[in-house]
Amino acid sequence: MVNFFGNAIPNLQPYSDPQYFVYLLIAVMPLAIGLYYGKRFKIYETIFSIVFIVLMFTNDKLGQGVALIAYIIWQLLVVGVYHQYRIRKNNSLIFYLATFLSIVPLSIVKIMPTVDHGAQSIIGFLGISYLTFRAVGMIMEMRDGVQKDFHWWPFLRFMVFMPTISSGPIDRYRRFEKDYDHVPDRDKYVTMVGKAVQYIFLGFLYKFILAYFLGTIMLPEAKQMAISAGKGLSWPLLYVMYTYGFDLFFDFAGYSLFAVAISYLMGIETPMNFKQPFKSKNLKEFWNRWHISLSFWFRDFVFMRMVFVMKKRRLFKKSTTYSSVAYVLNMLLMGFWHGVTWYYIAYGLFHGLGLMINDWWLRFKRKHLKWLKPNWFTQGIAIFLTFHVVMISFLLFSGFLNVLWFVKK
Amino acid sequence: MKKRLWQIFGPVIVAFLALLILLFAPLNYSHFSVKDEKKAAVALNSITFKNQQLKKQALSDKKTRYVPFFGSSEWERMDQFHPSVLAIKYHRNYRPFLLGRRGTQSLTQYFAMQTILPELKNKQAVFVISPQWFVKKGVDPGEFNYYFSNLQGTEWLDSNTNSRADRYAADRLLKLQGEDKKGILTNIYKRVAEGKSLTKQEKWEIYLEKVVLEHEDQLFSRFQVNDNYDRRILPKTKYLPRQFSYRNLTRSANRVAARQTTNNRFGILNSFYSGRIKPFGLKRLKGAQRNISYVQSTEYSDFQLVLNEFAKLKVNVMFVIPPVNRKWAAYTGLDLNNYQEAVKKIKYQLKSQSFNNVVDLSKDGGKPYFMQDTIHLGWCGWIAFDKKVNPFLSHPTKAPKYKINNNFLSKKWQRLKPNNANLKEFK
Amino acid sequence: MEKEVLAILENILGEDLSNQMDDNYFDNGLMDSMATVDLVLALQDKFGINVPVSEFDRSKWDTPNKVIERVKELADN
Repeated sequence: MVNFFGNAIPNLQPYSDPQYFVYLLIAVMPLAIGLYYGKRFKIYETIFSIVFIVLMFTNDKLGQGVALIAYIIWQLLVVGVYHQYRIRKNNSLIFYLATFLSIVPLSIVKIMPTVDHGAQSIIGFLGISYLTFRAVGMIMEMRDGVQKDFHWWPFLRFMVFMPTISSGPIDRYRRFEKDYDHVPDRDKYVTMVGKAVQYIFLGFLYKFILAYFLGTIMLPEAKQMAISAGKGLSWPLLYVMYTYGFDLFFDFAGYSLFAVAISYLMGIETPMNFKQPFKSKNLKEFWNRWHISLSFWFRDFVFMRMVFVMKKRRLFKKSTTYSSVAYVLNMLLMGFWHGVTWYYIAYGLFHGLGLMINDWWLRFKRKHLKWLKPNWFTQGIAIFLTFHVVMISFLLFSGFLNVLWFVKK
Repeated sequence: MKKRLWQIFGPVIVAFLALLILLFAPLNYSHFSVKDEKKAAVALNSITFKNQQLKKQALSDKKTRYVPFFGSSEWERMDQFHPSVLAIKYHRNYRPFLLGRRGTQSLTQYFAMQTILPELKNKQAVFVISPQWFVKKGVDPGEFNYYFSNLQGTEWLDSNTNSRADRYAADRLLKLQGEDKKGILTNIYKRVAEGKSLTKQEKWEIYLEKVVLEHEDQLFSRFQVNDNYDRRILPKTKYLPRQFSYRNLTRSANRVAARQTTNNRFGILNSFYSGRIKPFGLKRLKGAQRNISYVQSTEYSDFQLVLNEFAKLKVNVMFVIPPVNRKWAAYTGLDLNNYQEAVKKIKYQLKSQSFNNVVDLSKDGGKPYFMQDTIHLGWCGWIAFDKKVNPFLSHPTKAPKYKINNNFLSKKWQRLKPNNANLKEFK
Repeated sequence: MEKEVLAILENILGEDLSNQMDDNYFDNGLMDSMATVDLVLALQDKFGINVPVSEFDRSKWDTPNKVIERVKELADN
């Protein structure tokens, strides 16, 4: 089935097909048995992680592997040096410089394709964004004086934690370290294993059945139909929107479930990434349920800091201006992070404005519509509206409109 | 604690065993109804195209003789003179099984055939070979990957004999496969392309993969057939003259077509013109095809793969070369001499290897109501098609003795601008 | 001090919380990120205590009682 013992070194992309789980679960078994008996086999875990990370970057992905190593060294240097500096002094400029240096590689990778006709930068690799979040978060916590010590080995362990290396969820260093240094008691661990099994199977349903059906079977058909239907609004375009939206969710949620499940088996309680996002009653709630670890990262390290600084300097007169400006900037940044293309940026702007309008509506409702009591009907409308706003944003995000409107066929 | 562990892992073990049995047991999980076959034969969606079990069952049906009609987007032009409608209305002893959509060119057809090799053997087929396929680089990689499946890949590997054609096909496959399709079989394709024979272990891998994929195909292909049959084929039969004669048909076609081509001067179907050409802007299309040439193309060698397969399976196949709408060609500046040159090259490749059943309609694009739109047959065009195809299929004969010439797989042939002298080199 | 904290909260959230000292105001939608920043700033002004936003672990600040507890803790340091 797989050319494992054949002529070539295999290349294993995380959670990409069911066979990956066979290898992964066999390899994780000794760790699980150890944890069951109250021991964490740290050396075995390190070897296990290295092997699986190396297998991600074999064959034609070797360049990416080299980029990963260089990137790690770079981040260790930036964070390490900043830590040394922060023990002594706390100048804002140096903090900005350190943050900037930490983001430089990611920025190059994201901007490169735009300036160089879609060419991929050679310093890129699968998972670079997620590692950047972890490193930048670390610098910010040092700046705040919350993170006082720095040891390169635990930091490295946190950065390249195998189950979440390629696409999150984005954990926080201190939370991660607490789990790592501590072995859950047997009762708790068995509960975690139970959950892990449940998540893996739910993930199979999401990723290998639903997302496969939606993404591999329905979506290409839908796109072809939409292209033949022309550039304007059409039923097939709507079909593309729903199919893509659900595909995006099931694919990513499935992936995240796997990452969380494997973390659990390794005795680490990586946070969940999705919490039934499509039943959100407004856009704000949506971002508390969708790609949670990313939106919370942005909330804590971008949004709150931005508002904090702006408020401290009393930049605006009206208090609502702060949130509006912060929403738009925050979501725009998130858009840019996805890539420097018009549709990612439009997606960010769309959500920034959406959150602004959402906030305005909540205030309006509180002030003038006190008589309006939530019931199944109003909530139904709210869910329906939110869902469709989100779906439209995903259609933007998909880049399909770019293909439909601007790519010459 | 033991009980809890059982509760967690018991269901997993059961599920795993059930899955193993389901995927590897030597069983056939699917049987389709007569109606399913009818619907699949005209469904024309990518699912039916890629599916194996439905095609296998229909093409080996003892009661209804389904004949594979290979081609591309022309099958989508379902007016009442479409071969599928005519076959039903006039109770022919065959029914077309339509295989092809926009973008299914020679290489795609070649790999899709791999899933139905036994069903093709010693039978008949119709193949519409469009000169439009023969653009410089041949099939578009995106289109190719859309129709390619690992099932086709494993079936192909399974019948691979390490011939020159196989090496060529493997090479093409590797070049066209996108990053995302790179998978467990890639290394095996590479070995075939390099002309190495496969090891026992590799053959075993192919076999296992094939069993799994075939079972997947049987299990998941049933709910994906559309209702073209009831919506677009069956209702059209009532617009046809009750008594079959080409005179009646032609009269009816002229009448119908005259009514449906009133909003443009190209003889194009009204809805096509207002939906596809007008929104784009007629002016923008003036002279748009001036620089198109179909003479030099990789497609010629890809097409040779199809011919190799037909020869190997002794399929008695009729090739149809369609024309382009002459008024449209004049407006868009398509060079018809160049078009004829491509047709000449295709015909040479066919006839020199004894594929003698060739219907050349390529010069008929100026006849009234022959083309439904810019490049596709319709009304009278379908009738002309039927005049040749119907007698061929209604009275089946054996395939001629084909003489395969592998030089058509060469770069030299792909690039050849044919004249009487240099064609002789490909005897 | 309790009163002062409650006054701050009322000022920010527009609601008197003295009868819901253990209710999670994040869960019922009263408190959001914006209000959090206001709270942090107000506490800084009023008590001179410094709570970095990245330190702001929501589960430790999600009821009026918890806020009072934290303020006591930090003011003692």
